[in-house]
Parts: sequence; C-alpha cells; structure tokens
Amino acid sequence: MNLSFMRSVGVVLVKEVIDALRDRRTLLRLLIPAVMMGPLLLMGISSLISSLEERADKREVMVVGMEHAPTLRNFLERQTYRVTAAPPDFESRLRASKLLEPVLVVGPHFERDLLAGEQPVVEIVTDSSNQRASAGMAGLQRLLMGFNQERAVLNLALRGVSTELLRPVAFEERNLASTQARATRITAMIPMFIIMAVLYGALTASLDSTAGERERGSLEPLLMNPVHHLALVIGKWFAVAVLGMAVALVSSLSFVPAQWFLKSDSLQAMFQFGAPEVLAFWLLQLPLAAGLGAVLMALAIRSKTFKEAQAGSGLVIALVSLAPMVSMLNPGGDAPWYLWVPGLSQNTLMMLVLKGEALTFAQVAPGVLVGAVLTAVCLFYVAHSMRAAVAR
Amino acid sequence: MIEIDQVHKQFVIAAPAKPFQRAPRKTIQAVRGISLHAPNGRITGLLGPNGAGKTTTLRMLGALFQPDHGTITVDGIAVAKEPRQALARMGLLGDAHGLYPRLTARENVVYFGRLQGMDSDTAHARAQELGRLLDMGSILDRRTDGFSQGERMKTALARALVHDPANIILDEPTNGLDVLATRALREALRFLRSPQGGSKCIVFSTHIMPEVQQLCEHVVIMAQGRSVAQGTVEELLELTGKSHFEDAFVQLAFDCGAAGDAQGEVA
Repeated sequence: MNLSFMRSVGVVLVKEVIDALRDRRTLLRLLIPAVMMGPLLLMGISSLISSLEERADKREVMVVGMEHAPTLRNFLERQTYRVTAAPPDFESRLRASKLLEPVLVVGPHFERDLLAGEQPVVEIVTDSSNQRASAGMAGLQRLLMGFNQERAVLNLALRGVSTELLRPVAFEERNLASTQARATRITAMIPMFIIMAVLYGALTASLDSTAGERERGSLEPLLMNPVHHLALVIGKWFAVAVLGMAVALVSSLSFVPAQWFLKSDSLQAMFQFGAPEVLAFWLLQLPLAAGLGAVLMALAIRSKTFKEAQAGSGLVIALVSLAPMVSMLNPGGDAPWYLWVPGLSQNTLMMLVLKGEALTFAQVAPGVLVGAVLTAVCLFYVAHSMRAAVAR
Repeated sequence: MIEIDQVHKQFVIAAPAKPFQRAPRKTIQAVRGISLHAPNGRITGLLGPNGAGKTTTLRMLGALFQPDHGTITVDGIAVAKEPRQALARMGLLGDAHGLYPRLTARENVVYFGRLQGMDSDTAHARAQELGRLLDMGSILDRRTDGFSQGERMKTALARALVHDPANIILDEPTNGLDVLATRALREALRFLRSPQGGSKCIVFSTHIMPEVQQLCEHVVIMAQGRSVAQGTVEELLELTGKSHFEDAFVQLAFDCGAAGDAQGEVA
C-alpha cells in the first residue's frame, strides 16, 4: 500500500463523513432513538423496582372482613403490619389494575373455626394479569405461612412436643452472585441497545455511499478518477465504521447520566456503569462496526436504488439486532459458539463486562477474527462489483 | 490526443424470462469497429442517433470496461493497460454525472481534484478559476441540492476539468440545457480549444446537428455501432451532395448504417 493509496482513502473518508454529518435530519432520527431509548427504558424499569421496594417497606395488608379474625389481626400487628380495609369494589379494581395489591378475604366464621380446629379458609385475591398485585402475593402468602407456623408451634408446645420436629431440616440461603451479577438481570437489555446503535449508525452511511451513489449517478464519475477502486471502497467503509462507532459511543455514554436518575437505591448500588465500562463497551463494538459496515455495503452495491438496498438490508439488521435475544431466552447457558456470531458475541462480552468479570483473549479473539474476515471479504467484493455496477 | 482503433464491444444481457424459467441470454453488439483520431487543439464531434454506441465508446475510454477488440490510447497511454495514468490525462463528463447534494458546488469540484492527486490549496484555487471560466460565481458556495439542469451541468463540467486535463471528453453535455447555458458551454469549449485555453483535445458526443455545425472542426458519424463517415461538415456535405447537414447526416447514418447492418447479418 503506497502513499497515494492511503491519501485517496483519507480524502474519501473525510468527504463521506462530512456528507453524512450534513444530513442533519437522518442524523437526528438516528441519534434520538440511540441516545434516548436505552436510558428511558432503564429509568422505567428502575421506577417499577422502586415501587416494589416501596410497597415492601410500607408493610400494609389489605383485608376484607378483618373484624371476623381478631387472632389473625393480632398476629399481623405483631409483625408490625398495618391492616387496612379493602374497598368494596376491590375485585373490579384489581381487574382494571387500579388496585395494585392483593386482597385477603376472611370469612365470617374464621375465629370460631380456628378455635375449633376446623381449618377456616381465607382467600388471597389477585389478578394474574395485574403484575404488580401478583408481585405482592408472595409476601402475603409468606405472612400467612408465618401465622400457620405460629399456631402449629403453639398447639404442639401445649401438648409437650418439641417444635423442632416440625423442622427436620434447617436451611439457610447463601447467594453466590456478586451484586453486579444480580443487577445484570435488569441491565441485560443495555448491550442490545448499543448493538442497535452501531447498526443504525452504520446503516445509512453504508447504503448512501453505495446504492445511494449509484442512484444519484455519481458512482460512474467517481470511478473515472485515477484512484485504485479498493482505495475508494476502504475510504467509504472507514467512514461507515467511524459513524457506527460514533453512535455507539454516544449511546454508551447516554447510560452514564441515566444511572444518576435511577430511582431505586438498591438498583443504583448494583448498576455500575463508569468510564471503564463505557470504554470496554465501545471497544467491543469495533469488530461489529467494521464487519457489519462491510456486509451492508456489499449487500447494497448490488442494488440500484437506496430503497432497494434498504429492503435488502432489513434481514441482516433484524438478525443482528435480535441476536442478543438468543442469550436472553437462554440465560446462563452461554455456549462457546456465541462468541463466533456477530452481534451475539458482542452481547455476550458486554454482559460479562456488566457482571464485572475480566475478559480473556480467548473470549474476545473470535469476534475480532470474524469481524476482520467479514470486512476483508466484503470490501474486495464491493471493489470488484462497483465497476460491474456502473457498466450495466 | 485520443486514438481509438477498431474497437469492438458486445454485452450479454438476460432477456425477460417466463416465470420459473432461466432467463435466455442475449448478445448485443454495442460497438463493432469504431475508429477515431482526435488531435490536440481540435473539437471532434461524435454524432450519431440514439443507440449508435456513443456512450459505450466513451465509457470504454473512461476505463469503466475494456473493449473486446481494438485499442484506445490517450496521449500514447493504452487505457486498457494503464487505466489510472490514462484517466489522469482525461476529463470525462459522462452520461451519468450525479453530484453530491449535501456538498456545495465548490466542495464537489475540490473532492474530485483531491482524488486526482491535487493538494487542497491547488484544488481550491482551480475550483475558483473554473468557477470564473464557467460563470458559476453565485452558485459555487451553494449546496447542489436544488440546482437547475444548467447549474448541475456546469458543476459536473468543472468537476471533470478540475485537474486541467489535456483531453476533454463530453457525452451529450447540452442535454437539458437552455439556450443561454448552451451558448456559455460553447464559449467555454472554444476557449479551451484555443492556444490561450491550452489547446485541449476535445471529444464531444451529441445527436443535435446545429451544435456540431457550430462547434466541431471534425465530425465522426456513428451508426449501428460503427463509424460510418468522418470529415469536416463541408466535406460531409460534399460527400453526400446535400445542402442541408441534417439531410447529409440522415443519409450517412441511416442508409449506410442499414447497409452495414445487413452486411453484418450476412457475415
């Protein structure tokens, strides 16, 4: 590669970047979703979690017919729960998701049956389509189990039986996940948004510099310059990759301020996204931006119009942006082949970064290799096809 | 100086196919033996009806594809062997001359200048100079999006001439231009041909008679992919015995072309 070859690459690169940056409307349409979507979703999830936490803190039980169960009331109040009466139309309100807590319904003969040992029935009413009410169900169940346990223990103790007979096995929980690893359950979507940002950043530029150039009729004059065609292609591809990487950077950075607005303290404590993570995320996108930019150009050079190219690129875009779904649907089951699939590989690696794990060479190398091979093959193909494209 | 010697070119295209059938291949002989000699300081006109092979010939000159037979040389450089050296000596305004709509006219011109190997300052100075020559003053710093046909053509021409090439090849440059723009273009070409303008070798394809009469010292008439006659306008009139150039052209292009075609079929 001689000096004039490199110079031509530089000239094309600068022109293509300026051209793309001048297209303000497309740029805005591309940046707004890339920058806003992820953080907005993150904030939405955080407010959901914080409202769950809030309710756990509230220690309130909504009951119908508490007056029939003084013993249960006594137990609940000893657990420092506040008992409130449910509104009379609680069923319809639960169905309409206006009431966000499950309701305990106590029958009129509760106290009498309890004392007689006749196992009175209480109902926990919820609507499984009302997610937040369902989420409160486990807590209420645990509370009632506690009541059952207490009654049983008292009954046995009265008869002189050791209460340990009720618990032949003792158990304790020990959670091995690091705080960050637990947070990845919530933050799993961040890599997906960053991969999409790369895609959309590269898409317009790659189509415009190939099919768009053909459509405008500017490809033929361009090829009649005394420049090696591969130099033209590399310059264009470089610009595509630069734009993809720029949008990826903006998108990664947008998660930094987003975490300041996280409402849930525990989520905030778990989700750590600082400069090292941004940098790691960004560098991991390099093979994707390079490889995919080249693939999109190779697909588009066969198309006569921008529109045709856009239709042709739809499948690639969908496949790559949905690749992270594979690991989302199969959590924890990361297979070695994940690292060889563009999109999926970046997703897997970014998840490791989010979990706070160090990346090894063996984990990063497959993605880089695939990106490099894709780039080389596609760029040679584009350089070869360009002349054929105008000769037709 | 441009020499085209007995150039042939055929294309294989897919004819419309019936559903679920492979498209039958069809061979089209676009150019079958064109020869042309265009010396410096002369405007050579390439005159022919639609489909005569003018654009194909000029695209081969621009190294977009190679001829099947025959050679093309530019200032002694074979286009097929050293396309980049040959292209550096040519300014081509092809039939496709799209501009970049988000760049200004000046940026469009400078971009091609840089690709021709000029440094930034030289390319800018040259853009300014061409802006003056082609009377582009007010449009030079406007984005080309929304340019009129004439403004587009001027910009594309400036872009093709940015490296001050010794050979200028224009494919139907007056298409879509109004009278004033056509006149301005004619003036510019006359200047470029003159010794002050650099005695350029100018090859100019068209299908419009008056343009040829007013501008070209030498005319090559093309029909059915071959050059059927050449000479000055007067010589061609004399050859056919007509008083109108149009009548002469029709006789040369269509009668000879038909005869030539018939021979071609037999052969």
